[in-house]
Amino acid sequence: MNLTVNGVAHEVESGPLTSLLDVLREELAITSPKAGCEQGGCGACTVLVDGVARRSCLTPVASVQGTEITTVEGLGSPSDLSPLQQAFTHHYAAQCGFCTSGMMLAAQAYIDGGGSDGHEAIQEAIAGHVCRCTGYVKIIDAIAAVARGDEFDLTVTASSAGMVNLGGAV
Amino acid sequence: MKAVGARLPRYDGVAHVTGRTVFVDDVRVPGTLWVKALRSPVHHADITRLDTSAAETMKGVHAVVTWQDVPLLEYGHLSALGIPADEPLLAKDEVRYKGQPIAIVAAEDEETAMAAVAAMKLDLQEKPALFDVRKAFDADAPVVHQWGNWYPHFEAEMDRRQIRKGDIDRAFADADVIVQGVYRPAAIEHVPVETQSCQVVPEANGRLTIYSCTQALYFSLGVVAAHLQVPLNRLKVVGGTVGGGFGGKVDTATETMCCLLAQKSGRPVRWRWTREEEFLCSSTRAPWHMEIADAVTEDGWILGRKMLTLHDSGAYARFSPYGLTKHSFHHTGAYTIPNLHFDGYVVFTNRVPTTAMRGFGVTSVSFATETHVSRIAEVLGVDPWEIRLKNANRIGDTSPNGVAYADPSTVPVVKALADGVGAKLAPNLQAMTPAAREGDLLPEHLVAQIGNPEDH
Ligand code: FES
Ligand code: FES
Repeated sequence: MNLTVNGVAHEVESGPLTSLLDVLREELAITSPKAGCEQGGCGACTVLVDGVARRSCLTPVASVQGTEITTVEGLGSPSDLSPLQQAFTHHYAAQCGFCTSGMMLAAQAYIDGGGSDGHEAIQEAIAGHVCRCTGYVKIIDAIAAVARGDEFDLTVTASSAGMVNLGGAV
Repeated sequence: MKAVGARLPRYDGVAHVTGRTVFVDDVRVPGTLWVKALRSPVHHADITRLDTSAAETMKGVHAVVTWQDVPLLEYGHLSALGIPADEPLLAKDEVRYKGQPIAIVAAEDEETAMAAVAAMKLDLQEKPALFDVRKAFDADAPVVHQWGNWYPHFEAEMDRRQIRKGDIDRAFADADVIVQGVYRPAAIEHVPVETQSCQVVPEANGRLTIYSCTQALYFSLGVVAAHLQVPLNRLKVVGGTVGGGFGGKVDTATETMCCLLAQKSGRPVRWRWTREEEFLCSSTRAPWHMEIADAVTEDGWILGRKMLTLHDSGAYARFSPYGLTKHSFHHTGAYTIPNLHFDGYVVFTNRVPTTAMRGFGVTSVSFATETHVSRIAEVLGVDPWEIRLKNANRIGDTSPNGVAYADPSTVPVVKALADGVGAKLAPNLQAMTPAAREGDLLPEHLVAQIGNPEDH
């Protein structure tokens, strides 16, 4: 079976009913989709399948054969953060980080679909994505900021992770 | 103080948003085996037979571990604080809660590990279970624990945490009204999005590398070393990346068992609890039963408090004696009550053992106290802000355990709350500060309890 993940083509050996989550994590060692519940309840395993947010734990790999899969690694890199990655960083929307990949891919699908910065619409878009740390407010703020087209100066947050730089205005 | 109010980068922020953070279950080591556990299917039973031979000989199974393989079977989480051990790492002849681990297996893959668990033969003689702390003291109650139904090892081998302060009988004799209430906050599961997970790699030099999602790395190090009876330098714990804990990852839930399997199989092992295990078998915040009777005056002074607390510990002690101790020190909440009679018990039930969660021991009594103070206001027909501010902790007031407050925050917090909800305080209340009591705020009943913050 063939699968393209973040632009890279893979030949998959796992059986056809193996979950996409297991294929990504166990066979391909792409570990950003998380196994939070493996029963469709938490959203931590969400990836984009041809641009549509899907719970990879409930998706048999045979059903996505030949598609383009995007995980959070495919959005941008530490040296080239996507707008959503910048917004999550700027708004402190990732606390422990465990829900973050799934949350961001649901958000990316929402943004790509032309979603507005309305809080209710955003809540709807991330419904079923459980975050136990943030209380959701910062996540919604981050998604709204991208929907509005806010720009972020991340010279402090992106370049000096771990260093206290009080001089930079972010 | 330059950092306060400044926008600082999270040291792990960029890694989180780019999928670079390596959580415990993301560590990839070639040849890693999967771990699964045989758990008690019932709340309370004697184990009459455990036969793991069919699992041991199954193709793809590399190790099975039961109580017989554990060098030190019982080690208490708070042994270092003098709280004796009571909980076996793996059940030996009795199971005391549904989900208690009995045997563990390491196998080539998850399916094989599950099949091995299913092949284990377990015979149980089920016994009546106890779930209601209020019934624990009845003569005919099921006996939950080897120490009885409540923890008997507080200082001087007392069976309760007890506080006596002032003259409680005089307070109740002088009261205009006695206001009673019972408060029962329920158990709460922490529900971290990352379930309990662990990986252990046996190194060529004989050491074990433990990747742990623990919130308490050095704590886990000590607990594992004790069970394994090895010096600390045989273990290397890699932690610091926790997918949500909230107190539930203070217990050493997985590391020791994974180490035993890694030792026995000679292979790296990996255990990730299912969501079902997390809900059914992981520890929770404790449920509490609190009974309060306050002796109060018509104008809203709280002269004395009698309180009985039954702290539902679940099947084993773990952190509960410590939680109850904190609870007792805080049992008047943010208020000063000079005459106290407090008895608190750590009660064993056939529920999952309870553990730390965000201020455990204190949050329960804060809930009870705040609700009760509002109830007093209602009974007396007195303004609830006034009752809170009059009885608020002030500089020099003493806590239930006799500590004089140097910088109590009740007054500014209550005033900020009033402001936040738009409540208009009377001018004399608005003018209050945390300063030491004098004048109207130092009535006769409070004189004797005043201490000196400098003494502490
Ligand atoms: S792991 Fe797929 S929804 Fe929770
Ligand atoms: S940041 Fe921890 S679960 Fe969302």
